Amino acid sequence: MKSFKTAIRINLFAIVCILFYTIHAGAAIEGISGTNFNLTAKNGEISTPDGGNYLFWGFANGNGLVQYPGPTMIVNQGQTITVTLNNNITVTQGARPNVSIVFPGFNVTAVGGVDGILTKEAVPSGTVTYSFKAENPGTYTYYSGTDSGLQIEMGLVGTLIVRPAMGSGYAYNHADTAFDREFLFFLSEMDPRVHEMVETFGPDLVDTTDYLANYRPVVWFMNGRAAPDTMAENDVAWLPHQPYNCFPRMHPGEKLLMRVVGGGRDIHPLHHHGNHAKVIAREGRMLSSGPGAGPDYGYGVFTIQSQPGSTVDAIFTWTGKGIGWDIYGDADSHTCTPGPDGLDPVSFEDCSDHGKPIPVTLPGQAEVAFGGFYSGSPFLGGVDALPPGEGGLNPNGGFSFMWHSHTEKEMVNYDIFPGGMLTMIIIEASTVTID
Amino acid sequence: MKLIYIHKALVAGSIISMLSVYNASADVNVQCPCDLNGDADCTDPGEIYENVLPEDQDIKCMHLGSGDGYATMADGSVRYIFGFSDMTGIPTNPPPADVAEQVLSKGMLAAAYPAPVIELNENQEFYLTLTNVGMVIRPDLFDPHTVHFHGLPNATPIFDGLPESGISINMGSSLTYYYKLNDPGTYMYHCHVEAAEHMQMGMVGNLYVHPEQNGTPYGYGGKTYTQFAYNDGDGSTGYDVDIPIQLGSFDSAFHDASENTQPLPFALMFDNYPTLNGRGYPDTIIDEALPSPDRGSGSLNNSIQSQVEDSLITAAPGQRVLLRLSNLSITRPYSIGTMGVTMLVVGKDARQLKSSGPSPVNLYYATNSLTVGPGESFDAIVEIPENASTGDRYFLYTTNLNYLVNSDDNTDGLGGMMTEIQVVN
Repeated sequence: MKSFKTAIRINLFAIVCILFYTIHAGAAIEGISGTNFNLTAKNGEISTPDGGNYLFWGFANGNGLVQYPGPTMIVNQGQTITVTLNNNITVTQGARPNVSIVFPGFNVTAVGGVDGILTKEAVPSGTVTYSFKAENPGTYTYYSGTDSGLQIEMGLVGTLIVRPAMGSGYAYNHADTAFDREFLFFLSEMDPRVHEMVETFGPDLVDTTDYLANYRPVVWFMNGRAAPDTMAENDVAWLPHQPYNCFPRMHPGEKLLMRVVGGGRDIHPLHHHGNHAKVIAREGRMLSSGPGAGPDYGYGVFTIQSQPGSTVDAIFTWTGKGIGWDIYGDADSHTCTPGPDGLDPVSFEDCSDHGKPIPVTLPGQAEVAFGGFYSGSPFLGGVDALPPGEGGLNPNGGFSFMWHSHTEKEMVNYDIFPGGMLTMIIIEASTVTID
Repeated sequence: MKLIYIHKALVAGSIISMLSVYNASADVNVQCPCDLNGDADCTDPGEIYENVLPEDQDIKCMHLGSGDGYATMADGSVRYIFGFSDMTGIPTNPPPADVAEQVLSKGMLAAAYPAPVIELNENQEFYLTLTNVGMVIRPDLFDPHTVHFHGLPNATPIFDGLPESGISINMGSSLTYYYKLNDPGTYMYHCHVEAAEHMQMGMVGNLYVHPEQNGTPYGYGGKTYTQFAYNDGDGSTGYDVDIPIQLGSFDSAFHDASENTQPLPFALMFDNYPTLNGRGYPDTIIDEALPSPDRGSGSLNNSIQSQVEDSLITAAPGQRVLLRLSNLSITRPYSIGTMGVTMLVVGKDARQLKSSGPSPVNLYYATNSLTVGPGESFDAIVEIPENASTGDRYFLYTTNLNYLVNSDDNTDGLGGMMTEIQVVN
């Protein structure tokens, strides 16, 4: 399937080349903060890189653009949060639906609207207000509590982050949850048949099909985008309803907090190439043996099993420890001064490997195929000549890894590989500035 | 000073003297520092490990071929696969004049299902050469291949086998991967080129690393063990028998489309052959290689037996069996359960389940069912009851009970993702 791959690679190349001149891979997760939120449920269109366009129902921040997933609400521990929901969803045929929001993990008071099964619902063009106290820090999800099988599939789902009293550089109230950078990994999928049915005939007709029972997703998303759009900038104009990217960059030795949200209805195993991560919390609860102990019941993983409606917080880091050769290449080009752990505290090179050559001879350039994120050099921060048209996506010669669903059939956009639930991360040499 | 260290110093010196890390020519090229004749082992006359006991060897080499072949399903049907073959033991140095005949042809149609087991020791340096032999049945494809050592801590892109961030090897050439093994546990490996296609087609296999603690006796539960899953310090991961069990599944429609050069059904992918180590029950308990794949008119792959790995577990009463479980299905998680014995989960993703902090405790848990997502691994110990009798059987099977089938051939009631633990003396 070389031809597909080449076509996608060209797209990816074009996209990311543009991006690298404007990239701001910030250390924080994009979202909205405060204590009072106005969310409006309404219709929009999602784009997928295979040319797909799907009707969705989502949440907008006030009068802003409706988005998938919904706005990431970022609040502080101890605050009382009020979320007012306005229901502006329209349909092609049949009755407009009620809409609501549930916040698993919180004790919610709902005011206004009409009684639904799970909570109070906003009738068409109506509103309902939810309030709750953000007692515990962590990562949470929120979603529609009305006809949820259909409405979550349609896109009425998002993330809620509660920052701990200890401060914004911590995931929970313990020093062992400190992080340097954080990224959201909101994992979801869609079955286009449902969306096409709603768009053409209205939601009532979905009930006459087995689409929700015999669910068959063929497009998969990270933060609401399918690859390679996952690697485009936040808020690009050509994805007006999918504002969040998923393109981490970091330095060796830094702690990257992964906030993983199961936003769909399938289990997704998130395999993060590069190194293990330590799971420190699930469902907004630190894995701790008791008060003050921190995440001592956390565990190391190379694949995070993300379950529907569930959240996982994990801390990923990468160093040169134990690699067996000098990751920066030529010993004369740099120094290595070991800290207590044997690593240089700036470059995170393992000083016991300093000056050791790469132990094998690499094949000649005519013998290999090159990845777009290959810099031409096996060394961190190294860039070397490549044949025309090769490489180019990793201009600083960082160590780049794929983070993706290990249910590999989810790494496609419909029938086209690669795509779907995958992204790349780049570990930049310590000398490279990440802004 | 041991011989091997002198040798390693010489090797290091010779590499330093090279001006470039890149090879200039295109060829089969097996790199193994303790090897003279290029067969990726170090036990031939004159080689460094000829007179060295295995436990003193801290370099391991292996030569894998990547190509295509065939495998037989438990309902007797034969399916086309992509896969790896073990080419270790074929001399390549000096390169024979007829290198293609001598080396490349050995790998042709030799794909194994699953891929050859890779068994390593902590502290080893592992030199893995991959030679792409090409696909005989699909000459229209010119796909490169890689090995992704799934889960290796502190990986580097050049040896990660991810084609998007590194290099992958073209047909007729070799790429040698280097790994320093610092962390024991159960990993897995697979090709990462066009992963959804190449993995569905069969380029998946078992890989695990024994801990340094092996060989040191530890008493646990009234018994003494010398083999362990991890460096546990207390013998609690000690075992008598270990076996890698890789969960997987297979969409015959996808394989048939590939064999017949048809568009590949990614969106419609639906696995109908659930397997353990590449076989459905009852083939899982045949403790020998399956016959060479044959559709009724002779072997399809030069009489190669492509499925050498069984999943039959035999153990004596009171023995502990370490199940090294992984899942390389690309379509769904599977729950795996036990009947008659309980699993004690001691590790996940090549890490012992143990708390951190000043006084760590083991965080093991007992279960009769374990959900293993694609790309996850678990280490689980089952203990055969002391009062078990020879001939008793316990079952290890998917508790997604609808996957106890070999396609639509379920007339016997049970098939697919299941194997047996048989009690012996």
